[in-house]
Amino acid sequence: MKLKMTRRDFLKTSAVGLAVASGLIKFAKADIFKKAEEEQKKLEEKGYKLVKTICTGCAVGCGLLAVVKDDQWLWVEPWINNPINRGKLCCKGASANYIVHSPRRLKYPMIKRNGKWEKISWDEALEIIAKKLWEIRQKYGPDALFFAGSAKVSTEMAYLQRKFMAFWGSNNIDHQARICHSTTVAGLGNTFGYGAMNNNFNDMRNSRAIIFLSNPAEAHPVSFYHIYKAKERGAVLIACDPRFSRTAAVSDVYVRFRPGTDIALIMGICHELVKNGWYCPDYVEKRTYGFDYFKEEVLKDDYSPENVEKITGVPADLIRKVAQILAKNRPATLQYAMGATQHVTGSQNIRSFAILQLLIGCVGRPGGGVNAFRGHDNVQGATDMCVLSHSLPAYYGLSEKAWKHWCRVWNVDYEWIKSRFSSEEMMHKKGFTMSRFAVGATAEKYGWKLDQPSPIKAIIWWGHSTASIGDLKLVKEAFESVELLVVVDPFVETAAALPERKDGIIILPACTEYESEGFVTNSARQIQWRNKVVNPRYESKPDMWILFKLVEKLDKYDPGLYAKFTANFGGKSPEEIRPEEVWDKEVMVGCISIGMLGQKSWRIKRQQEYDYTFSEEDCRSYGGPCKGEYWGLPWPCWNDKHPGTPILYRDDIPVWEGGHDFRVKWGPKAPDGKSLLSGVNPQNEIYVNGVKWLFAIGETFEEYLDKNMLPSGRGRARFYAWNMKDPLPKIREPIYSPRLDLVSRYPTYEDEKYGKFHFRVKIKGRSWQIAWLKANVVDIFPLVWTSGRQVEHMGGGAETRSNPILAELQPEMYVEINPKTAMERGIRDGDLVAVVSPRSLEYDDTPAYIIVKARVTPSVPEWLVFTPFHWAGQFQGKPYLDRFPVTNDMDTRPIVYGDSCNIVNPPGWDPETQMQATKSGICNVVRADKLQEFLSQYRSKIEKLKAELRKMKVME
Amino acid sequence: MLKFLVDTHHNLCIKCKGCMAICKNYNKTPKGVNRIQVVTINEGQPGQLNIPIMCLHCNDPPCMKVCPVKAIYKREDGIVLVDKDKCIGCGYCAWACPFGAPQFPEGGAFGSKGKMDKCTYCVLPFEPERDEKGNVIYRDPVPRCALICPCETILAGEMKEITKKLRERVGALTASKIESLFLF
Repeated sequence: MKLKMTRRDFLKTSAVGLAVASGLIKFAKADIFKKAEEEQKKLEEKGYKLVKTICTGCAVGCGLLAVVKDDQWLWVEPWINNPINRGKLCCKGASANYIVHSPRRLKYPMIKRNGKWEKISWDEALEIIAKKLWEIRQKYGPDALFFAGSAKVSTEMAYLQRKFMAFWGSNNIDHQARICHSTTVAGLGNTFGYGAMNNNFNDMRNSRAIIFLSNPAEAHPVSFYHIYKAKERGAVLIACDPRFSRTAAVSDVYVRFRPGTDIALIMGICHELVKNGWYCPDYVEKRTYGFDYFKEEVLKDDYSPENVEKITGVPADLIRKVAQILAKNRPATLQYAMGATQHVTGSQNIRSFAILQLLIGCVGRPGGGVNAFRGHDNVQGATDMCVLSHSLPAYYGLSEKAWKHWCRVWNVDYEWIKSRFSSEEMMHKKGFTMSRFAVGATAEKYGWKLDQPSPIKAIIWWGHSTASIGDLKLVKEAFESVELLVVVDPFVETAAALPERKDGIIILPACTEYESEGFVTNSARQIQWRNKVVNPRYESKPDMWILFKLVEKLDKYDPGLYAKFTANFGGKSPEEIRPEEVWDKEVMVGCISIGMLGQKSWRIKRQQEYDYTFSEEDCRSYGGPCKGEYWGLPWPCWNDKHPGTPILYRDDIPVWEGGHDFRVKWGPKAPDGKSLLSGVNPQNEIYVNGVKWLFAIGETFEEYLDKNMLPSGRGRARFYAWNMKDPLPKIREPIYSPRLDLVSRYPTYEDEKYGKFHFRVKIKGRSWQIAWLKANVVDIFPLVWTSGRQVEHMGGGAETRSNPILAELQPEMYVEINPKTAMERGIRDGDLVAVVSPRSLEYDDTPAYIIVKARVTPSVPEWLVFTPFHWAGQFQGKPYLDRFPVTNDMDTRPIVYGDSCNIVNPPGWDPETQMQATKSGICNVVRADKLQEFLSQYRSKIEKLKAELRKMKVME
Repeated sequence: MLKFLVDTHHNLCIKCKGCMAICKNYNKTPKGVNRIQVVTINEGQPGQLNIPIMCLHCNDPPCMKVCPVKAIYKREDGIVLVDKDKCIGCGYCAWACPFGAPQFPEGGAFGSKGKMDKCTYCVLPFEPERDEKGNVIYRDPVPRCALICPCETILAGEMKEITKKLRERVGALTASKIESLFLF
């Protein structure tokens, strides 16, 4: 086949052209990447379409090319010019087309009536939902609805979800970020000013030491493309993980510590750094606040390596060695994920990481930073849009000022929005969270108190997974007790099948992200445009259409709602409104606080077209129309000319080049009178004509940027955060601690710290721990339980467990158990075992357990077991595949299924954000056939814990 | 000579299984047929090593020698292929191959093994495409596993080129340790 090439094409590939011209044909041809590009060009000539799109597997934001012919996605090609991944993919991206073409897709809307699933039309389904929602609103008030939003939808769709609930008149909306990185936002935000990943994946190649506090080899595999570049340049890799993970296997130093003792470990390292003077005094003095308070605390004997060894199990010498490595290898970067955030002390764990990085002066410089690796492909975008019960989009909070700001953006009257709520008080009150909404739905049954007039009566479950939520037993009851349950997902999400109920469930088939389009923000704040690969399959519809259509249906009962909701889009119909319109007319106007102003849709799309002009070294374009811009225009991007800020808080380059500084968020002066303005180039927040920058709609800030000023000011990072529950990180044992001897010395948070109500429910941390202490049942639950990811699966697994390739690569749910522990219990590899935990005794009679296969491996120590969390389709040993809809032309049962490990997670919620604790639990493992024997043998002990819990009234 | 080179010198592979997935996707192999597999030794202990294993397109392939019907042949550019029209599914090649490269689809008639399938350096999918005249269409030899491997564990291409690449990498990684000499 002859290669057709116009002169322009030839010039476009001038690099190849030059190589050919100078007689280097052999060299140019030898590289398989060049060959692949030639092959891709040939494919296009043959009539295949190559669509640039973004993987949905995790938050790295890998680009991939979809090969499409006749509206069928045939296979995946590497997108070699995408600077984030340069065509590299893990198994999730490499099998993306099998999600779209999965045989287990939900094809049309279904309703459960009289115990049977029935097919129903879109119109009828939305009509029923609108009518029922309106009835519930009239009867119980707007707060009777709980909306579970999603981090899987595009950023502007996430924004619309939050907007919908604002217009509905309730703050009961939440999404994955609550149980994912909410503590990151609290921890980093209270230290630096912004709560996002500091640097980006590409930048990690500049590091000289990388501390892993998660398992990116399985959770974010493609990040290793950059991590290995750092290793090649001499970086030391330090893996801190209770389990000898795949990351640990390729690291230079491995630190094994007990789950839930992150603060002790990190503060132990800080202790060594401060004691030996290995920190960065110049940086600390010029750019931080409150070091003296910190120094006093960290030099206490509690944090000496010897004491830390007693708490964490890490040898004191190893702690000294890590400190020494950090002293000699800078810049160092630190990365973490769920293993650090999902704890009662989650916010403080993250604070300790931030403090460590401040100590060694590695925040705000290439190769440094505190890098929160996020989970979902768009969880950063959805978090920025605050699909969260405590804030309006862009972290504005729920104050009157915030509401007024957004009302201006939405072009609606503030008084009207106020009238939508049951009272003004409810408008400013934080709503239920993902981690505890189940209490809101079951409160009536158990007589628990709530901080709102009515319990939850309807749930909209929009692209959220069930398996990732803790206390699943109660979640199941919640799904069973509400009057209406609406599940929107491309596959039948567990929520639709888990509850044992005969009616009241409607499932709507949303199309996958690959069949719709929109903006996605990856973990590093880089915004990319995801193209539509193929048209929606079957009767599935884009999320945005479904939402607008639902509002249109509600308009019948609530006249004027649709017109107000779409005021900025000129009253267009749901089919006509484009994602770009929502993005440019509302998101880019209102999100001033995080500088989401300059990422206009045309700029993002232009970047995609000129992807080959971007360097993978620093993600910057060095030629062409995007010259000077950073890939994805990471926020803050102050206006249409700003290149974006790839590295937060970097003060050694001009703002126009992507410079930044710590935010002045708590005023220019601390309560102790010390200045909170930077010691390098101090500057307070900007007021534009007397209006604080946060509310200056339409301002481009150009004149300030010319003077190298930042709208958010140039402030200091805080060692000491006086407004937090713990101003400095403090060692606190998990509620169900395996070390009763440490509980009295390092108790969990007092009940008062949670206030009378915490996000509308009662939380009593200390009472719970006292009950645990008194019951003293550690001897029958001697193992520590933790959970994590499998590389093949994602979140609750509804998508990946229905993907034939991924289901084949990882068909099993299991519990990892040490050979010695297994042998003591008569367990052999592959045996069915029960993992029993003292959970759910606070409202149920039997302890929670799961029945899974044993995977005997030395990667876990003798005292630890590990379970992956993606699994559903079986509840405490009983499969419920029969509750998934099956018709003659549709089978929605997942290809592989297993028990959900979050049935056995321990109690515990972060007092700052109500993060659930799903990483440091307690359990025992017995052979499945010996479970009843185990339960009856220890009945009296279990009863004792139950009695103690009820005596302490932990739920009331 | 086109070759694969799996870098086991540096413990790079993190077993993300991208190679396995893209191979199944691009070559449309059925369930149970894995042209590439990642095996782990010393799992869960220091010294754990993940090794992607596929057909190494040997210089002197043992599978070719034992094939009773001469279905296996080596192309001029070094790629070892199987002629599925000739293959009788006897499985001798699977015994001869030291790497377990030959794969057999599940459930042939009367319990026999189906036609042998193995890595084709991405020139042929599981069921080869044919042009109008019925001739098999060969694609360009660009192995997808090597293209997408995030850790660059799998190197593919001209033997000379990939040995050069590995030599550079060995140099870089060895040199990176040199600095530690100057710590004290």
